[in-house]
Amino acid sequence: MRYLRDILIFAPCYIALDWASYIDPVGPFNITPWNPQPALAIVWMALGGLHYLPAVLATIVAADVLVRGAPGGYLITALTAVALAGGYAWIAWLLRALLADLRLRSSRDLTVFAVVVAGGTAIVGAAFVGVLRGANLLAAIPVPEALLRFWVGDAVGCLVTAPLLFAVADPERRAALLALARRPETVAQAAVLVATTWVIFEGLGGDPSRHFYFLFVPLIWAAARGGMSGAILATAVVQVGVVIAIHREGAAALPVLELQALVAAFTLTGLFLGMVVEERSRAAESLRQSLRLAAAGEMAGAIAHEVMQPLTALGSYGRSALLYLERGEAAPLPGIVGKMLAEQERAAEVVRRLRDFFRAGTTRLEPLTVEALMAAARRIGEQVIGERRIALALRSEPGLPDLYVDRLQVELVLRNLIANAAEALDPRAADSRIEVAAARNDATSVRLVVADNGPGVPQTARARLFEPFVSGKSTGMGLGLAVSRAIAEAHGGALEAPPAGHGEFHLVLPCVHAS
Amino acid sequence: MRARELTVFVVDDDASVRDSLALMLSLSGYKSALFADAEAFLAAWQREWAGCVLADLRLPGKSGIELQAELRAKGSRLPFIIITAHGDVATARAAFQAEAVDFLEKPFDHAQVRAAIENAFSRENLRLRRSAEAARLESLTAREREVLEHAAQGLHAKEIAARLGISPRTVEVHKTRIMEKLGVRNVAELVRFALAAGPGSGR
Repeated sequence: MRYLRDILIFAPCYIALDWASYIDPVGPFNITPWNPQPALAIVWMALGGLHYLPAVLATIVAADVLVRGAPGGYLITALTAVALAGGYAWIAWLLRALLADLRLRSSRDLTVFAVVVAGGTAIVGAAFVGVLRGANLLAAIPVPEALLRFWVGDAVGCLVTAPLLFAVADPERRAALLALARRPETVAQAAVLVATTWVIFEGLGGDPSRHFYFLFVPLIWAAARGGMSGAILATAVVQVGVVIAIHREGAAALPVLELQALVAAFTLTGLFLGMVVEERSRAAESLRQSLRLAAAGEMAGAIAHEVMQPLTALGSYGRSALLYLERGEAAPLPGIVGKMLAEQERAAEVVRRLRDFFRAGTTRLEPLTVEALMAAARRIGEQVIGERRIALALRSEPGLPDLYVDRLQVELVLRNLIANAAEALDPRAADSRIEVAAARNDATSVRLVVADNGPGVPQTARARLFEPFVSGKSTGMGLGLAVSRAIAEAHGGALEAPPAGHGEFHLVLPCVHAS
Repeated sequence: MRARELTVFVVDDDASVRDSLALMLSLSGYKSALFADAEAFLAAWQREWAGCVLADLRLPGKSGIELQAELRAKGSRLPFIIITAHGDVATARAAFQAEAVDFLEKPFDHAQVRAAIENAFSRENLRLRRSAEAARLESLTAREREVLEHAAQGLHAKEIAARLGISPRTVEVHKTRIMEKLGVRNVAELVRFALAAGPGSGR
C-alpha cells in the first residue's frame, strides 16, 4: 500500500520535473543542461530503499513517452531507461553505503555526496549516450559534447536539488528551513538574489555568464547567516531564476552550458560554506552545553563537599554521645547535643544555598546595590579565608550606581575569584592580603577588581587562563574561571586578567542604566 | 592495648570535623593530635612520631596526597588514611598510587574509621618491630653477621667454623653473643629472626 502511495507521489513529480526541465535538448533526446528529476529518483531510492527501482524504471519510460513521445522508438526508450534507472539506483546505493548520515550533516558527507554525484552522473551519461550512439541516433553531434551536456545537466540538477530534497525529507532540517524562510532577513536575501539574477540577465545585457559572479555576494550572506539551510534556499532561488531566464530568452540566445557550470560552482561554494558555518555553530553550541553541565557538576561537587562536612561531624558527635552513654556519663551530653544542633543548621544552610542556585539556574537579573555586593564579598571572603591569616580589604568608590545582575551567579563568580586569590597566597607569608575594589568602569558598568599580593598568573599560563579543563591546581577540573567568564559574559559584562605583578582579576558588571 | 602508644594525627580544615573526630577517637581509646592544614602538620612533624595520619584530601594549600608525598620525601613512613567528601574514582586511584592505607568517604561511620585506624596501626606496629629488629641487627659486628647468615642456612657450628676458617668454639662464642644482642633464646628463634630481618628487609 505504502509502495503504491509513494509511486503515486513520485511518478507525477518526476514526469512534471522532466517536462519542466526539457529545454535546449540535444536532438529530440533528454540531454538537457538542467535535469533535476534524477535527484528525485536518487533521493527516493537512497531514503526509501532500492526496492523502488522497478517503479523508477517504469516512471522513466513513462516520462520519455509522455514528454518526448519516445523519440528513439520504444526499444531505445526501454534501453536508456534501464541505463538511467540502474545508474541512479547505483548512485543511491553508493550514497547509502558511504554517507555517515543521509541528512548531509558534515563536510565529509558533503564531499562524498558531491564526488559520488559528479562521478555517478558521468558514468550514467556514458551509458545513456552509449546506447543512443550504438543505435546510431546521435549522428548530428559529437559524442564528447553530448556527454558533457548530459553530465552538466544531471550533475547540476542533482547537486542543487538533492540537498533540498534530503532537507525536506528530514523533519529537523525541514523545521529549520521553514523557520529560516519566515525570517525577514531571508526574505531580504531572496529579494537581493532575485534582483541580482534579473540584473545579470536583463539589466546589464550581453553575456550573463560574465556577470554571474555578482551572485556569490548574496550567496555568502545567505550561507554565513543561515548555514546549510540558507545555502540550499539560495541555490534553489538562483537555479529557478536561471531556468526562468532560459525559458524567457530562449536557449539559443544564452550560453546555457556555461551558465549551468557556473550554477554548479555556485552551488558547491554555497553548500560547503553553509556546512562550515553549521559545523562551527554546532561545535560552539556543544561547548556551551558542556560548560553549562560542567558548571552544574562543579557546583554539585562543591555542595557535596560542604554538606558532607557537617554530616561527618554529626556522625562523630553522635557516636561520641553513645560512647558516653555506654559509660554512664551524662554530664558531657548537653554540650555534644548542642554541637549536633549547630551542625544540623549548617547542613540545612548548605542545602538552602543549593536550592537557591538551581532556582536561579537561568540568569535572573535584578537591581543590586554595590553595598550589598560588597557585603556578600565580605561574607564570602571570610568563609574562604577561614582561619588563615589573610587580610581582607574592601573598597568602593562613592556614588556608584546599582548593578543589574543575577545576585547568586555574581556571588558564585566572586567566590571563585576570592578562592583563587586565597589559594595563590603562600600560607606561610605574614602579610597576605586580598582586596576587592569597586569603581566606575563607564557610564553603563562597574568594574570590580579582586587582587591579591601573591605571585600572580605566570605569563605562560595567561594565554589559556580562561579555557576550560586547564587548571593550575592539582585538584579541581579547571572550570572555575571558564564558568566565571561565561557568567560575566551572559550578563553583558566581562572577566579579564590584565598583566600585573600580582594576582588581579577584573569583573565588569552592567549597572541599572545599562538595561 | 598497643593502640594507646600510637597517635592518630588528624589533618582536616573543617573545625567541627576535627573537634568531633577528636572527641570520638579519645572516647574510643585513641590518642589524637589535630592540625588544620598540611603546612601546620609539616611544621610540627617529628621523626619519632608513630601512629597514622587521617588527612582530608581537599585542604587549603597542600592536599592530603601532597602532604603524604612530602612526608615520604622527608623519610617518614607514617601510614596514611585519606578522607574525602566526594570519593570519585580519580581521587581514589591517586590515593592508592600514593600508597594510602585506606580511603574513607565522608560521612564515614565509627566502625569504618576504627577499622581503618586498626589496619594502619597494625602496619605501623609491624614497621616499628621491623625497624627495632633492624636496629638490633645493626649492632652485630661483621664477623657475627657472617656467622648469623651461615646459621640461618641451617649449618652446624663445625661447618660454619670450616667455612670461616675459625675454631668451632669461637663460632659457639659468637652465637651466644648474637643471641644476647638480638634478644632470642634459642637457635630456632635465631634462624626465624635471621629469615625475617635478613637480607632484603633491612629497610
